[in-house]
Amino acid sequence: MTITHQFDYIKAKSVAHACKLLSKKGDHRLLSGGTDLIGHIKENLATPDSLIDLKGIDALKHLSVTPSTIKIGALCTFSDLLNSKEMAKYFPAVQEMAQTVASVAVRNRATVVGNICSAVPSLDSAPLLLTYDAVVCVVSSKGVRKVPINQWFISSRQSAIRKGELVCAIEIKMPAQKHGATFVKLGRYRGEDLAQASVAVVALPRDRYRIAFGAVAPTPFRADQLEKLLNGKQLTDNLVGQAVTLIPSLVSPITDIRATKEYRTHMCQVMFERAVETAVARLR
Amino acid sequence: MSNYKYIGKSAVRVDGKAKITGAAQFVDDLDFGPDLLYAAVVESPHAYAIIQKINTKKAKELPGVVKVVTGKEFPYRFGLYMHDRYIFAQDRVRFVGEQVAAVIANDPATALKAARLVEVKYKKLKPLLNVGDALQQQGVDRVHPDLANYFHVPWFYPKKDSNIAHFRKIRRGDVGEGFGDADLVYEDNYVVPRYAHCAIENHAAVGKLDHDGRLTLWTASQSPHTQRHLFAEALAPLGFTHQNVRVITPFVGGGFGGKAGVTMEIVAAALATTVPGRPVKLLWSREQEFYNTYQRQGVEASIKVGVKNDGTITTLEQTLLWDAGAYVEYGANVVNAAGLSATGPYRIPNVKIDSVCVYTNLPPGGPYRGFGYSEFIFGLESHFNQIAKQLGMDQVEFRRKNAIRAGDQLAYGAPMHANGLLEAIDRVKQEIAWDTPKEIPSDSSKVRGRGFSLFWKAPAMPPNASSTAFLKFNEDASINIMVSGMEIGQGYLTVMAQIAAEVLGVPPEKIRVESPDTDRNPYEWQTVASHITWSCGNAVKRAAEDARDQIVDLIENVLEMPRDDIYLENCQVRSKIEPDFALDFTEFIINGLMLPDGSWRGGPIVGRGMFMPEFTSALSDPETGQGGKPNVHYTVGASAIEIEIDRDTGKITIPKVVLAIDCGQALNPDLVKGQITGGMLQGLATVLYEDMRFDDQGRLLNPNFTDYKIPTSLDTPDQIVPIIVEVPQGDGPFGARGMGEHTMIPAAPLIANALYDALGVRVKSMPITAEKIVAELIN
Repeated sequence: MTITHQFDYIKAKSVAHACKLLSKKGDHRLLSGGTDLIGHIKENLATPDSLIDLKGIDALKHLSVTPSTIKIGALCTFSDLLNSKEMAKYFPAVQEMAQTVASVAVRNRATVVGNICSAVPSLDSAPLLLTYDAVVCVVSSKGVRKVPINQWFISSRQSAIRKGELVCAIEIKMPAQKHGATFVKLGRYRGEDLAQASVAVVALPRDRYRIAFGAVAPTPFRADQLEKLLNGKQLTDNLVGQAVTLIPSLVSPITDIRATKEYRTHMCQVMFERAVETAVARLR
Repeated sequence: MSNYKYIGKSAVRVDGKAKITGAAQFVDDLDFGPDLLYAAVVESPHAYAIIQKINTKKAKELPGVVKVVTGKEFPYRFGLYMHDRYIFAQDRVRFVGEQVAAVIANDPATALKAARLVEVKYKKLKPLLNVGDALQQQGVDRVHPDLANYFHVPWFYPKKDSNIAHFRKIRRGDVGEGFGDADLVYEDNYVVPRYAHCAIENHAAVGKLDHDGRLTLWTASQSPHTQRHLFAEALAPLGFTHQNVRVITPFVGGGFGGKAGVTMEIVAAALATTVPGRPVKLLWSREQEFYNTYQRQGVEASIKVGVKNDGTITTLEQTLLWDAGAYVEYGANVVNAAGLSATGPYRIPNVKIDSVCVYTNLPPGGPYRGFGYSEFIFGLESHFNQIAKQLGMDQVEFRRKNAIRAGDQLAYGAPMHANGLLEAIDRVKQEIAWDTPKEIPSDSSKVRGRGFSLFWKAPAMPPNASSTAFLKFNEDASINIMVSGMEIGQGYLTVMAQIAAEVLGVPPEKIRVESPDTDRNPYEWQTVASHITWSCGNAVKRAAEDARDQIVDLIENVLEMPRDDIYLENCQVRSKIEPDFALDFTEFIINGLMLPDGSWRGGPIVGRGMFMPEFTSALSDPETGQGGKPNVHYTVGASAIEIEIDRDTGKITIPKVVLAIDCGQALNPDLVKGQITGGMLQGLATVLYEDMRFDDQGRLLNPNFTDYKIPTSLDTPDQIVPIIVEVPQGDGPFGARGMGEHTMIPAAPLIANALYDALGVRVKSMPITAEKIVAELIN
């Protein structure tokens, strides 16, 4: 489809340069993977004055690992996650998630940071990032600030980013202890699809759990009440049953062309039950 | 087994290398130079509205705009079987997305921008978005108030002052008596929604009017000659005739019926006439592919069947109400074809069928692989399953008992021809291990089910639809075959080469068969109806025989060899009685043979062949459908599936599916297997994933692959077993008959029946999505 909208294209030389460009008057959009943005421009859903291309900034390219943290740079793609040995070692569930994102071609371009910046309810990376208490590193000409991921998603398509800011990385703390995790996504078929519901479960030693849902509320969210119910208790069929019963009161899915709220709710229950089982099995 | 040298062998595709290397060119790949202009259409935002005013001023003023064209310049109707479609909407728009005007500009972005600047003032009318509303509306706001004045083929029966564009009746035997004889009468209703073709190549057309008055169209089409005819017909008021209209069709990236006839190409043809000397390109977006070409029509089926306790079907009463959309110039013939054959491949003495083509304010319905048969087979084969269950009879046995055999009367009165339906049933039953218990999945949430379905289909075409072929030899004994059928992935070009190869003893790799230019290549009706291998294959065979006869004549006359002793092999003339005799084609095929006196005989060998069925007739009694012979033949088959369902999620996986088809003679078994695989996947997609949704104003909500799902390689069954049955077609080339469309027809009832087998749930509307299954189980 032809792009009819006219805009300036500027290739940023550095993060500082990008921040300077962003601080100018007008509607400026950051371009990394472009898998959402270019589509939106084609459909006139986005009509920016300029595109600031970040792809030339080496500092944003890295998936860097320190003993305490794994840092996903703004230009890291889902394929980068899949190719990372560290991810495979410490966060295999993140790779499980990345494998469900669109298709190979999209994964080769789409970035994780772009994914959280879209802030759509169905975004695939959010539930696991929530369960891992990730931190979003934001930079602007005024300096750097860090936003906990559970404060990042404000409403549908709205994140905590402010005008003039760019996200330079997402940080995840290395797991302090052995854990079992999984990500389960509902699609209409096995090919690429947007999630109609998703759930991430992290099982920690001593009966501790972290649980998050995607695509079944205006934002992805941590299911605190479920965690509270399960934490510290031995997992029994009865306890899981209680948790499953609780789910319809925690999720608020919509009915749209992709699925009804009834099916999404039902599948949250089914997927949660299966995900807990998987996560616990992986902990062992 | 026959001892053919090239027929029945899986020859390598003649277009394979061009496609694999990227050498194959499609319309959008063609280079038209710097003069090329681009067009964009102005689309109706309303499903039904009166056009009050069009203001093109702002669009015309945009720099780069060359021309803005509205319906005023082209107040013409066109169509294949009925002239009810407009080049541009005239006084009213009839579906969301219909073209109201167009802009021609120097670049695509300017054309699109300018199209948005065209201001159209509408007065909205209440859109008719389903068959029920449309049948009730008899006032002035019915979809086509002028229906009575439209030209149509003589086998259509529009109803005055209604939205019924065609009413096909079949009356055979005595239905009342049939139900009286029955021990069980069973009634139910089934719903099949609309579907989109989703060919990977979008529609594209480039038109150019030369300064000498010749109009050339480059189109992505299944029907170059029919397009030429429709362009000439529609533009006749401007002085165009067939002589100065030319259609060139390069490689096509999939058709499935969607590129048959004429849809958006008419706009390119019309626009080209307004900018003489400059080519104009119109390229449809994926969205437009969905809503402004053709869609497969939706149908509501009411079925009532009478059976005896021993399983004999006595009676079928079936009403098919088709949501045919805003224009039915092609779609009405789908309704007709389904009406003629809605008994399915069964022997039923008493039949009443009403197949009704209803105008609605949804996108135009039209041809789609299966041409109405997939739609009625869903209901019919679901229905027969339930009847067998109620009779306590094995469903395969029930089908076998009633399966149509040679000599049985078809619904329109003519006798059925020899066919391999029983063999297909038996082989499928064996392959799916019908009589052995299903595997019990280790995962307790999963359960398996098996489904069975028969299918059939006849080509739907005018009684005199024809094919022609030219064949010419070159100095090196290579051959060019000129035909006007289209390679749309099915392997047509390869099979035509194999047919000529068999007759002339020239290997297929020495034969070129390429896409047509209507000025150079001889007439072909269309590449539709699964008739091209059969019909054009006959024409090519006759062209090859014509060339062979010329070769034999020459040898007989010049070398004085008895013609019965001569045969052709490996590009040589050989003799049955003189094993040492071998004359290379290269010695004479262009230059002929020299006589002792130094003069020459023969010359370039050029063959011609034509095929038109001479036994068909569309003339029949409109009240009963009896008396004609509308169909050339039926291709029949059987299919079975085993599915595994996750009871909690509703997700289905398919360990195995089997399909047997009687294609008469598989000219190229690999290509037949390819059709079985591809057709089955397409059919499974319509029942499992594809789900077209409109809002309450008639706007299509999912004209994209984000929300209209066609299967990926991850969604294929674990095993697809193709079975080829060969009961020869007497009038087919080497006994072949068509089989392309058929392979998707049984897919939907297979899933519905397997689901019933697994869980006892009968879903009577398509698609059968995971969500729908869960909803059924919860309720």
